[in-house]
Amino acid sequence: MDQLAFTNDPLAEAPAVPREKMQEVLDDIKGHMLFDHELHGCLNCGICTATCPSASYYDYSPREIVQLLWTENLEGIYDAMGEKIWACAQCYTCAARCPFENSPGGLVMIMREVAIKHEMESVKEVLRPFSRVLLKVISTGNQLAPNMITKEAFPDWGPDVSKVDAPLDILRKAIPVPTLHTLDTAWIVNLKTSVELFTIWEATGVLDQLESVDENLFDVVVDVMDEKREDLEDWLDEQEDEDDE
Amino acid sequence: MSDEKKGSFEGFGAEWKSTQLSEADKRRATDWVEAKIDKRSLLTGNRKEDIRDIMWQLEKEGEIVVHRVGDHNDPVMAKTLYGWDKKIPTNNFWHHKSCGQCGNIPGYPTSVMWLMNKLGIKYLDETDQTSCTAWNYHGSGIGNVVSLAAVFLRNYHQAYVSAKAEGLPEGTYYPLVHCGTSFGNYKEMRIFLMHSAELRAQVKEILGKLGRLVDGKLLIPEEIVHYSEWLHVMRDKLATHQTIDVSNVRATIHPACHVYKMVPEDVIYDDAVLDGNRVAVSTGLMETFGAQVIDYSTWYDCCGFGFRHIIGEREFTRSFAIDRKIKVAVEEAKADVMIGHDTGCITTLDKNQWIGKAVGKVYALPIMADCQFAAIAMGAHPYKLAQLHWHASPFETLLEKMGIDWEKAKVEFEDYLGEVSKGKIETLYDPQRAITSGPGYKKPAQLAGASNK
Repeated sequence: MDQLAFTNDPLAEAPAVPREKMQEVLDDIKGHMLFDHELHGCLNCGICTATCPSASYYDYSPREIVQLLWTENLEGIYDAMGEKIWACAQCYTCAARCPFENSPGGLVMIMREVAIKHEMESVKEVLRPFSRVLLKVISTGNQLAPNMITKEAFPDWGPDVSKVDAPLDILRKAIPVPTLHTLDTAWIVNLKTSVELFTIWEATGVLDQLESVDENLFDVVVDVMDEKREDLEDWLDEQEDEDDE
Repeated sequence: MSDEKKGSFEGFGAEWKSTQLSEADKRRATDWVEAKIDKRSLLTGNRKEDIRDIMWQLEKEGEIVVHRVGDHNDPVMAKTLYGWDKKIPTNNFWHHKSCGQCGNIPGYPTSVMWLMNKLGIKYLDETDQTSCTAWNYHGSGIGNVVSLAAVFLRNYHQAYVSAKAEGLPEGTYYPLVHCGTSFGNYKEMRIFLMHSAELRAQVKEILGKLGRLVDGKLLIPEEIVHYSEWLHVMRDKLATHQTIDVSNVRATIHPACHVYKMVPEDVIYDDAVLDGNRVAVSTGLMETFGAQVIDYSTWYDCCGFGFRHIIGEREFTRSFAIDRKIKVAVEEAKADVMIGHDTGCITTLDKNQWIGKAVGKVYALPIMADCQFAAIAMGAHPYKLAQLHWHASPFETLLEKMGIDWEKAKVEFEDYLGEVSKGKIETLYDPQRAITSGPGYKKPAQLAGASNK
């Protein structure tokens, strides 16, 4: 096999992935600003896996992730990026324990970023349930809002999500912290703050990431951003008019 | 072991020989070793770097400005994992709220602010703040080190300049981070920023566009401080206001991974708490309040939150939470409550008990944050202030054990909701202070004539 390599399993029905593609993925991982910070060596001691919560429940091992990267195993890395990296619970217990001060959790984050950059099929599937959080954080600067926590959204949390039966807006106003008197965001976010955040998203490529994961979500976010920018412009114009008077 | 015994069967190996030292000399030798060789230095030697050394150097070279914990912040020194000093401010705070707490566990920030009011501590809670966005990043991979670092320094810059809106000097308020993930993420970002000139350059360009530089430089905080660290150094003062005896309460502690595993060198360890071998926050507070803190075998485990798992793979989250934390705390520690100090942990452990019934794992363990417990023990209203009705776990059993009539308190709160619906709302501070710029901002009298922008 010269130009093609299999995605780990030679009997799999999935089409073979060109070696160049896999090399490109590894190059992006190794070229990440934090790669050298997160990987220093590996003795295969397995302390990371022994203490890993996800290793108990998934076919996932932080030791394997580190070894794949340390040995630059192209097929193994590409395969792990399909599903395994999404098992990590991001607790960083592995990093706290590693005698080499590696951060397998941090390496997983680099791999997730690269998986998004390469628009790997698994990404869209894995992140589908996350779209509400993505929309919220990118459009408002808050990741969670009171009106997202409903019995319908979290039926497995049981009937006691709120133990006092009252309309949500009344319950929120009964919180003695005024910034929390809102339903759409965790706290009331200043208009200027949201607009500043949009600048950060644009300048750091986050919107491009979002577009590659979910084009519809991207369109909605752009609309919200445009609207808020216009609102701020209008307000600033009003201020200028008032100052002139 | 007596000096006469020796040999491999005693566990010392065949070559072992007694020193024949007197008891006094043995003690003296041991004291010498303990004084000379700190147990942490055995682990770290000189190879562990204190990122603040690089920070001070960069400031000296004129590349950054450090936002110091000033005298007006009444700092208290605490020790961290390797015995380093950490300067914990105790006054004039800028509340860096947590989106998960404010959205889902509002009694958390409410309790922190109430405790501050109780001690006469000044603070600002304002609307010019974003999430750290790290929950989203760790869950989805959307975001990157540049966006996270820019968000971090944007929020901290706002904390630095916020007092100007009240006619006070810049740097009056010092950021106090409520969320464990924000705390861990910001500590990590500070390390990355100090190590990478490339990252600093990229973030500087963005913050320059936003007008968020100080003298054309990045503003870096001297200390990144979690509210649980503030609680820890204030625990004795807080306990003087305690009104409820909690000595019959068996409490387990769930320490948060992003508080003490992510950048482990920068969180409080205290020789007086768990012999300095485990993170001191929360445990120290509970012990000071007189509760029985019960150890359990899975203390070190995470909660199962997983960032994306709590949203998209909840079977992992609930299985881990029940099997590795709740079940152990109930069966092994016979706990009355599990106390946490982070957003995701409290949510996970609190909300994932009911579903256990589906598989015969029936456990009922009250879950709350250390600040909520402290506030209740100091006489705060369990509903109106500690906002426990947002918790799914059976906090009522804990309140009964603390001698609090929760049914009466609930009725009082329901009555209060009637007042709220008529617009009679009680707050912990003047709501006008929350708006420091933009629509709705009103200049204080001493700033009359200045721009509202």
